[in-house]
Amino acid sequence: MRRTLLVIDDDRDIRQVAKTSLELVGGFHVILADSGQRGLTLAHEARPDAIILDLMMPDLDGRTTLAHLKQTPEMASIPVIMLTAKVQVNRQELVGQGAAGVLVKPFDPMQLPDQVCEILGWRSSRKDKNRSDAE
Amino acid sequence: MVMIGRIRLWIIAASVVSLAALSAVSWLSYRNTKELIAANQRLARAHKMIEDLAALHVLLDGAETSCRDYALSGRAESLKPYEAALAQLDVTMQVLRRDLAADPNRSRQFQELEPVVNARLETMKELVQARSASGLEAAVRVLQSDRGKKLTDEIRQQISIVQTEERNDLLDRERESRERARSTILGVGVTCLLGIVLLLTASLVIVRLNRQSESDHIALQNAERIQRTILNSAAYSMISTDKTGLILTVNAATEKWLQYRGAELAGSSILGLHDAAELHSRGVQLTRAMGMPVGGDYQALVTKAGYGVADDFECTYVRKDGTRFPVSLSVTALRTGGNDLAGYLMIATDLSEQRAIEKMKDEFVSVVSHELRTPLASIKGALGLLVGGVTGPLPPKAGEMAQIALSNSDRLSRLVDDILDLQRIESGRITIDKRLCNVAALMKESSESVRLVAEGEGVTIEVSPCSGSINADQERMVQALINLLGNAIKFSPWGGRIEFAAERTGRSVVFRVEDNGRGIPKDKLETIFERFQQVDASDAREKGGTGLGLAIVRSIVQQHGGRVWAESDLGKGSKFWIQLPLESDSMTTE
Repeated sequence: MRRTLLVIDDDRDIRQVAKTSLELVGGFHVILADSGQRGLTLAHEARPDAIILDLMMPDLDGRTTLAHLKQTPEMASIPVIMLTAKVQVNRQELVGQGAAGVLVKPFDPMQLPDQVCEILGWRSSRKDKNRSDAE
Repeated sequence: MVMIGRIRLWIIAASVVSLAALSAVSWLSYRNTKELIAANQRLARAHKMIEDLAALHVLLDGAETSCRDYALSGRAESLKPYEAALAQLDVTMQVLRRDLAADPNRSRQFQELEPVVNARLETMKELVQARSASGLEAAVRVLQSDRGKKLTDEIRQQISIVQTEERNDLLDRERESRERARSTILGVGVTCLLGIVLLLTASLVIVRLNRQSESDHIALQNAERIQRTILNSAAYSMISTDKTGLILTVNAATEKWLQYRGAELAGSSILGLHDAAELHSRGVQLTRAMGMPVGGDYQALVTKAGYGVADDFECTYVRKDGTRFPVSLSVTALRTGGNDLAGYLMIATDLSEQRAIEKMKDEFVSVVSHELRTPLASIKGALGLLVGGVTGPLPPKAGEMAQIALSNSDRLSRLVDDILDLQRIESGRITIDKRLCNVAALMKESSESVRLVAEGEGVTIEVSPCSGSINADQERMVQALINLLGNAIKFSPWGGRIEFAAERTGRSVVFRVEDNGRGIPKDKLETIFERFQQVDASDAREKGGTGLGLAIVRSIVQQHGGRVWAESDLGKGSKFWIQLPLESDSMTTE
């Protein structure tokens, strides 16, 4: 069964690239949210296997969204990978707040699924077809 | 100062000379006066002697006349002057004997005179006896014998000789006295003159000293005014304290910044201007660094400076109203000429503005990094998916174009990263988190990071680590080493070999990255560490570099207190060295 990932990012293009990469290269099922608030709702409804959460968003930013997720018992166990374009990000601090890891933009779409699996300790679910294509 | 010293020397010399001259003249005057008194006494004695001799002569004449009268008249009353003269003669002879005894010559003359006088008295006595016993004729016979007259002449002659000699003596002594008086007058005159000259000289010197002192005083006042103006115009807070930390003086900037008046601060403790918790923490830090107990109070401020070590650090000043602001503080020990500790000087620069600028810069970097990297992420991601064939196979020409777009977006992405990185490192906004790092582990991590790239370029990396650990920010040192290795890979030919070694040399550890690539011209060995300085302008395009890699390496190494340099044989290869200081607390042997 395919794992479901929730990608929360206010940038439409990033959402689209991430979805394409994670679905077509990684073989995941990807659902998208364009804001922290929408992400919290979707996470509650869909209970994804992991969440990829952008740090800098208007209104409810990544840090606050992460705090909400970790404070809600039903969703606290869902691993969250923070996605950021900032270089001055304190990884240790984010991990301390409950993040499973940090991914930095720009990312390599061909490597993104593997990076996600590595952070979460999952076996790579990369499609054989895509793997052979990539190679 | 030299002038005053010379004048003082002159005053001392003149005082000594005048004292000596005054002593000499005083002694001369004293001696002359004393001798003058003695000469006067002698004169008086001589006069008296002459008078006594004259009196003797008169007495003898009187006695003789009296005897002759008696001899002729036979009247007893005629003898009365004779008898009176005899009594007087006895006294006069005694006086003369005593007065002349002091002078051997006169004493001898008196001894010669005395028997003659006695003989003369004897003849008078014979005359009187002859008259009284045998009458006038007998007396006339005595008179006619002429012996008395001869004796009288002899006495007169001897007295005359003595008187003449005494008078001559008197003349000599009077001349001598006059000379002495003259020399005394001269001495006193010279002394007076000398005194006047000295008085005038002293007056001149005093006037000159006064003028000098006045001009010195004015110069001092001017210097003090200038110094105060400088101190008060300085954009630094300057506080001087005594040895115990009590404030002595403050400048205008201190008053303005801290909102105190100088008089309020004078005599109060410097601790009132500092954050107590900050000082406590610095005390703990210094105790650890210096290996000796340093109190978390005033000692935390001055201990290092007290040992003559330059002490510049950042801390917080507390204003009168309790608000705070950051300062860069420099503490210096104030020492007297004898090198005794007199107190401390604390010069502070207000860092508020600098901090505000840094904060703005940070915000700018944050915004720029986000705003540039987000669209780049989309471009790179989309192109990556296209080139990766995820969205389906592309026609060959389209694939080629997509590949060009992807590699250039990669380059742009690296450039943005490098610019932001360099800005943050050079502005010191990246905290260099120094921890004990194993040299071999650092080298392994760096070489592993570039191994795939190296393999892709057909380049092998030989790693020769040394033992030991250094105190460094692991992430940043790995970044620096990766940049050097990345460069070496880029410029190595297919099948090339890179030597990546570390050695401990004296008080440092030296990393070496050596390739057998095309090398670097000598005139570029320094400039390649500048921003956007590459050996060949086309390198950025062809080799995919940003022109910032080595600038970043240099910044990171400098942040660690080390240095980086390059050596090269053109056409044979290049060697890059990173030397990090091996201080007692920055490297330990395992």
